[in-house]
Amino acid sequence: MTTYYGLYGQKVQYLASDPTDVQIGQVWYNSTSAVLKVRSATTSAAFASGGNMNTARFFGAGAGIQTAGLTFGGSINPYPVFSGKTESYNGTSWTNQSDLASPLSGIGVAGTGTQTAALAFGGNGGAGYTNNSAEYNGSSWTSGGNMVNTSRSRSAFGIQTAAIGANAYLPGSQASTAAESYNGTSWTAITATGSARYDGSGFGTQTSGISLGGRNPPTTSLASVESWNGSSWTAGGSVPAGIEAAQGYGTQTAGAILGGGRGYPTFTFQPNQQDYNGSTWTTSAALSTNRKLAMGGGTTNTNGGYIAGGTNTAPSANAIASTEEFVAAGVGETKTVTVS
Amino acid sequence: MAYKYCVAECWGKGFITHSDSSKYQVSGFPGNVWQIPANNQDANLWVNKVAGSFKTKAEAQAIVDVEVTAAQAAWDALPDEQKQQPFNRQRPTAIVLE
Repeated sequence: MTTYYGLYGQKVQYLASDPTDVQIGQVWYNSTSAVLKVRSATTSAAFASGGNMNTARFFGAGAGIQTAGLTFGGSINPYPVFSGKTESYNGTSWTNQSDLASPLSGIGVAGTGTQTAALAFGGNGGAGYTNNSAEYNGSSWTSGGNMVNTSRSRSAFGIQTAAIGANAYLPGSQASTAAESYNGTSWTAITATGSARYDGSGFGTQTSGISLGGRNPPTTSLASVESWNGSSWTAGGSVPAGIEAAQGYGTQTAGAILGGGRGYPTFTFQPNQQDYNGSTWTTSAALSTNRKLAMGGGTTNTNGGYIAGGTNTAPSANAIASTEEFVAAGVGETKTVTVS
Repeated sequence: MAYKYCVAECWGKGFITHSDSSKYQVSGFPGNVWQIPANNQDANLWVNKVAGSFKTKAEAQAIVDVEVTAAQAAWDALPDEQKQQPFNRQRPTAIVLE
């Protein structure tokens, strides 16, 4: 009879709980749940359901990663009820946190950073557009520096102390090329982008980021991509089709956009995640629920990200609460071994 | 491709797993309507797992229509100044199930 020891030269571990530093190929017996488990690698990229947010929202902002996420701001049902609701995600469920205060508590707030060091800026809390920003430390929000421009719907990337807010909807001029940089204390105007846009997407770092897509009113959904190197913008490989109101995450050479869509007056949702390698785009797995103006974050398109909330009717009258988690091919996943 | 439809409430984590999505596409629509490929054993088992209630295409379309109509009514009730907001100019459009 062939044994595991005979095949691999090791015995199956007998553990009271799943190991924390588990490797692909590792097998163990969980004595508490009385099941045999194995760590294998995913064979294809796909989405899975995550926990439902406590409050359905859209048009807010997100930060963090799939196992440590954060969403804040937006509008709740019945629309329009502007909200500063903040929720944290542990990879399984969402927990209410301290709310983002007015005037950032509303639609089109931009966000970046991590679950315990996030940055919110701009937006419309119902009383008009704001240039305020706020910093989150894992438990509460405090005021950050004021932006140069009053705006909403910026392409955001970076971290709390080194962020970029590119492009925006500016009251009066609408789609804008204006971009600003934050150092944790104050905002500074930086080189403008080549194309004017709002409701675009962003990902990357303060010295290596992307601003893409968005709307150029009144009707155009943009496909153009611009790369930021810390001092200037360079046109990159365009998205295959115009894309607005999508959620971005990742790095300049391993980024992704989720959700959103294109078109006016008829809006067509984009069902598949689209991956960017720094020059070209490829189509990845499809979401279960089409959505736009959602919130989310992630690491890279070769690892994973998440998208939460948004609206699944065009335009913006039906906020949803669901979360979907993207897992790339080749990422470790724990499976229970069954024989029947 | 032919599809089947069910109604199920997404409870969150585990509702659709990575393994589910790797084998077939589950597409969600307003009203907790879910579309799965027809004649797919794994997809049928998923409906059972989520305690879904199978619907005909016409029944599923009617449920979606109710949701979209409600969204349209909400948009119609907005003040004109709200309808002119750039983020809000599009009236919810009908969704036609395949």
